Amino acid sequence: MLFKDIRDYQISFLGLFLVVGISTRDWTLRPDLIGVLIATSLVTQWILSWVTGKEQMPNLRSALITSLGLSLLLRADDWTTMVIAATSAIASKFLFQFHNKHFFNPANFGIISALILTSDAWVSPGQWGEEWWYALLFVGTGGMVVQRIGRWDTTAAFLGSYSLLEAIRNLWLGWTWDVFWHRLMSGSLLLFALFMITDPRSIPNSRIGRVIWAVCIAGLTFILRNYFFVPTAVFWALFIVAPLSVLIDFLWLAPRFSWQRGNEGDGGAEGAGGELLLSTPNS
Amino acid sequence: MKIFRFLTPLLLTIVAVFCFAPAAWAFCGFYVAKADTKLYNKASQVVIARNGDRTVLTMANDFQGEVKDFAIVVPVPTVLQKDQVRVALPNIIERLDAFSAPRLVEYFDPDPCTPLPLFSRGIPQTALNLNIGAAQVQRSDRDLGVTVEASFNVDEYDIVILSAKESGGLETWLTQNGYKIPQGAKQLLQPYIRSSMKFFVAKVNLDKFEQSGYQLLRPLQISYQSPKFMLPIRLGMINAKTEQDLIVYILSPQGEAQLTNYRTVKIPSNVNLPVFIKNEFGEFYKSLFQTAYTKEGKRVGFLEYAWDMGSCDPCAADPLTQEELKEAGVFWLNDNSLSKQTKVTPIRKFAPPAFNSNVFISRLHVRYTRDTFPEDLMFLSTANRELFQGRYILQYPFEGDLKCEAGKEYKRSLPKRFEQEAQTLARLTNGNIQDIRKKMKLSVGNLTYSWLENVQSWFGLD
Repeated sequence: MLFKDIRDYQISFLGLFLVVGISTRDWTLRPDLIGVLIATSLVTQWILSWVTGKEQMPNLRSALITSLGLSLLLRADDWTTMVIAATSAIASKFLFQFHNKHFFNPANFGIISALILTSDAWVSPGQWGEEWWYALLFVGTGGMVVQRIGRWDTTAAFLGSYSLLEAIRNLWLGWTWDVFWHRLMSGSLLLFALFMITDPRSIPNSRIGRVIWAVCIAGLTFILRNYFFVPTAVFWALFIVAPLSVLIDFLWLAPRFSWQRGNEGDGGAEGAGGELLLSTPNS
Repeated sequence: MKIFRFLTPLLLTIVAVFCFAPAAWAFCGFYVAKADTKLYNKASQVVIARNGDRTVLTMANDFQGEVKDFAIVVPVPTVLQKDQVRVALPNIIERLDAFSAPRLVEYFDPDPCTPLPLFSRGIPQTALNLNIGAAQVQRSDRDLGVTVEASFNVDEYDIVILSAKESGGLETWLTQNGYKIPQGAKQLLQPYIRSSMKFFVAKVNLDKFEQSGYQLLRPLQISYQSPKFMLPIRLGMINAKTEQDLIVYILSPQGEAQLTNYRTVKIPSNVNLPVFIKNEFGEFYKSLFQTAYTKEGKRVGFLEYAWDMGSCDPCAADPLTQEELKEAGVFWLNDNSLSKQTKVTPIRKFAPPAFNSNVFISRLHVRYTRDTFPEDLMFLSTANRELFQGRYILQYPFEGDLKCEAGKEYKRSLPKRFEQEAQTLARLTNGNIQDIRKKMKLSVGNLTYSWLENVQSWFGLD
C-alpha cells in the first residue's frame, strides 16, 4: 500500500531534504517549529474536511506535504507565525476553489500569508548554496516524482524560460557567464521548480496551459527579482499567477489530475502511471 | 491554603533555578581577548545601517600609501547630493569591530571539595554585573556619454557623482580627470552602467587634508533610498589576485541579516579549548577561520556575531552609545513611527515582549576571490533575533589540594577533558594533535599523571 501513492515519494523526499538540510547546512531550522507546522496542518485539514464533509477520508498526505514544504522554506521567530502559515495554507485549499479545484499552491499560500500577516517570517533564498550535488539530489528525486505525475513540461517551461531571460540580461549587462550560472545554480530555485510548481492539483490541467502558466511565473519572477529587488520573487510570482490557472483551465479543457489514477490527466503522453520509472527527464 | 501560598513561590524559584541556571552557565564567562580585524592584512570594513529602503553606508579606508594617490569609485543606486555624504569619525568602525569581534572567555573550576550552592555555581559575579550594566545602556563629457550629476567637497574629500552611457567613455573620463584606472575596469564598469547605477568617485583634497590634521583618511558615509540592498564587490577584484577579507556590519531594527545569493554560515563557536590558547588567540582564530572557509568550499559568508546592540555577554567592548550608533549611521533611533517596522498583528498579542534596543547588529565576514564570488553581495534583513557570537572558552582546572572523594573523582576526569579540548582544537584549526598535546603538557604539566598515580588513585592510596 505504501508508495502506491506518488505522494508517499514526495513525503519521503521532502523529509530527506529536511534531514540533509539540518545535518549538513546549519540553518535556523528549529524542530519545535517543524512540529508546530506539521501538527497545525494535520489538525486544520482534519477539521476542515469534517466541517465541509466533502471527503470521507481526510487528505492527510497532502497536508503533510504542505507542512514539510513549509518547514523547508519558511523561517520564523515565533511559533504563532507557523500556526498562521500552516492554517492559511490548508484553509486556502478549501476557500479558494473553482469547480472543486483549488488554485493556490497551499505551501506557497502559507508562505505569502506569513510574510504579509506577521512581522517575523522570512525566507532564506541563499540557504542551499550552489553545490552541484544538491542540484543532483533535487533533480534526481524531483525528477522521479515529476516523471510519475507527468509534469515535466511545467518544470522545463519554467526553468527554460527563466534561464533564457537571465541569459539575455547577463549578455546585455556584460557580466561573465559565471555570474549567470551562479544565479541559476541556486538550490532554492530548483526546489521550487521541481516540487512547488509541479503540484498537479493546483496547476492547469492541459499541457499547453501549464506551459503558458509556467512561462508567466518565470517572467514575473525575473521582473520582481531584477527590477524590484524582491529576494522572495519566485513565491510572489507563483502567488500572483496562481489564480490564472482557473482561466487557463477554462480556455484549454483537459481532464483533471487525480493522485490515485496517476498521470491520466496529462492527455496520455506519458507512460503508465502505476510503475516507478527512473528514466531520464523528458516528456 | 497558607501552605500553598508558601509553596508556590518556592516551586517557582526551583523551576526558575533549574530552567535558567544552565543557560546562565552556558553563557557569560570572563572576557579575555578578542580577534578583531587587525588580524588581517587587508580587511575592508563596511557598515550598512538599513531600515525600509533607506540605507546609510559607511566605508572604512584601509588605504596604505600616499594620500594623494587615493581615489575610490563605488557604484551607488542613486545620485547623491552633498547632504547625503559626510565624513564619519575614524573610530566608529573600530568601535563596532571591537564590540562584535570573536571573543575568548575563561572560567575557573571551583574547588570540587566545597560544592557551591546550585544557583550560584558557575555564574561569575562580574558577569552578572556586566549584564546589569548592559541592560542600562541601549563637456567633452557629453561626447564621452558621462554626466557629472553632482560635484562637491566634504571635508578633505573631493566628490563627483557620475552617470555614464557606456563604459569606455567613463573610463576615458576618469583617466582624463587624473584617476588611475586599473586595466580591465572597462568590462566591469559596463554592467553597473547598464543597471543604471551611478558612480560615487572620491579623492583627497590635499590642502584640506593637511589643514584637518588627521593622519589617516576618515571613513566616508553616504545615505540613499533604494530597494537595492547590496554591496558591489566586483570592482574591487580587478587587480586583486589573492583572497580579500571583507567585514560587513549590518545594523537593522529587525534582526539578523544574511546573504541571499550565497550561503550564510555561522562560524564554529562555543567550544572549550586548551588554556594555552590564551596567549595565541589571534593566531588561533585566523586558522579556525581558514579551516572553516576551506571546509565550506570557500563560497560562503560567515556570521561572526548577531546581537542586540543594547547588550553583550560577555562584552568584548562596551555597547555603543546612542551618539555612537547615530555616528555609525543608525537613523531610526528617535523615530517613533518605528512601531510600524515591528508591527504586531492582533493575533500576536500573546507573544512575549522582548527587550530590544531597536538596533540589531550582524557581523558578516566574507573572504572572497574572483572565482568564488562572481556576483555582488545581496543581503536580506530577517526578523531572526536569535543571539549568536563567536565565543571560545578556556576552563582552568582547580589547582589546589584535593583531599575529598569528589576531588579525586574530579582529578581523574581531567585528562579526558584535556584530550577533548586538544581534539577540538585540532579539528577546528586543522592542526597537528601531537603538537597540541605536547603544548598542553607544558601548560598543565602538573595535572597529567603517571601510571603509578593512576593506580594509586584507583586503590585510594593517594
